Amino acid sequence: MNLDFLTPYGFWNPIIWLLVIFVALLIAYLIWLRGNPRYKRGTEQTKPFLSGYAPESKEAMRVSASNIYWGFTSALKGYYDFLRKMHTGDVRDYLGWYVGIVAIMLILYILWGGA
Amino acid sequence: MSKVPTKSFDRSLWVFHVNTGSCNGCDIEILAALTPRYDVERFGIKLVGSPRHADALLVTGPVTRDMVDKVKRFYEQVPDPKVVIVIGSCGISGGVFHESYNLMGPVDKVIPVDVYVPGCPPRPEAIIDGVVKAWMKLERLRGENK
Repeated sequence: MNLDFLTPYGFWNPIIWLLVIFVALLIAYLIWLRGNPRYKRGTEQTKPFLSGYAPESKEAMRVSASNIYWGFTSALKGYYDFLRKMHTGDVRDYLGWYVGIVAIMLILYILWGGA
Repeated sequence: MSKVPTKSFDRSLWVFHVNTGSCNGCDIEILAALTPRYDVERFGIKLVGSPRHADALLVTGPVTRDMVDKVKRFYEQVPDPKVVIVIGSCGISGGVFHESYNLMGPVDKVIPVDVYVPGCPPRPEAIIDGVVKAWMKLERLRGENK
């Protein structure tokens, strides 16, 4: 079975690609084997080096994804507070909204839909 | 350097330098040992940026109050076996600062020390000699651990 693809953009063969991945993994494994085995797990030796300061908790150190759009949510705080109140987490509330909106749309359609 | 056994050159010695309260005199002499005149890097002796990468800890200065927990952490972060070299009189005895209210004492009151290099500051030749002695001890420790 011929798996070669020759397109105007270049040559592609999945077998060669798998071989490349295998060789790359093999090289990574050989580099990993050359690592220093003297580290003791669970001690300071495997903790990050922060110029001698004790590492803080991960929650305190990491920048959460919500920080990216902090300015956006802060500027639209009033709008988001209103939306959050609507999101109660209760499925019955959401179904109520669904039924209500469908009922309003049906009424609007009956009144002006045919016009 | 001829007294150093060949085995000592099996692996480079990576050193992490800590200033625990030095006046910088010893630190400048350590830098002098790295400059082309002495060039310790040709023997594989290299300063590294993290104690986790180091084989030896090079400490200058007496230990100030603020540095106690940090120098302990530096020591604990160096993988075993490890050696500690103290450069200069201040790290050995407190030196001219020995009566300071802000000192917790010489380095060996905080962490175990293997090699002392006296001087105020010691010359680069003395520092290199101390590092070689520490290297030989490290090779012995590595041999014992095998």
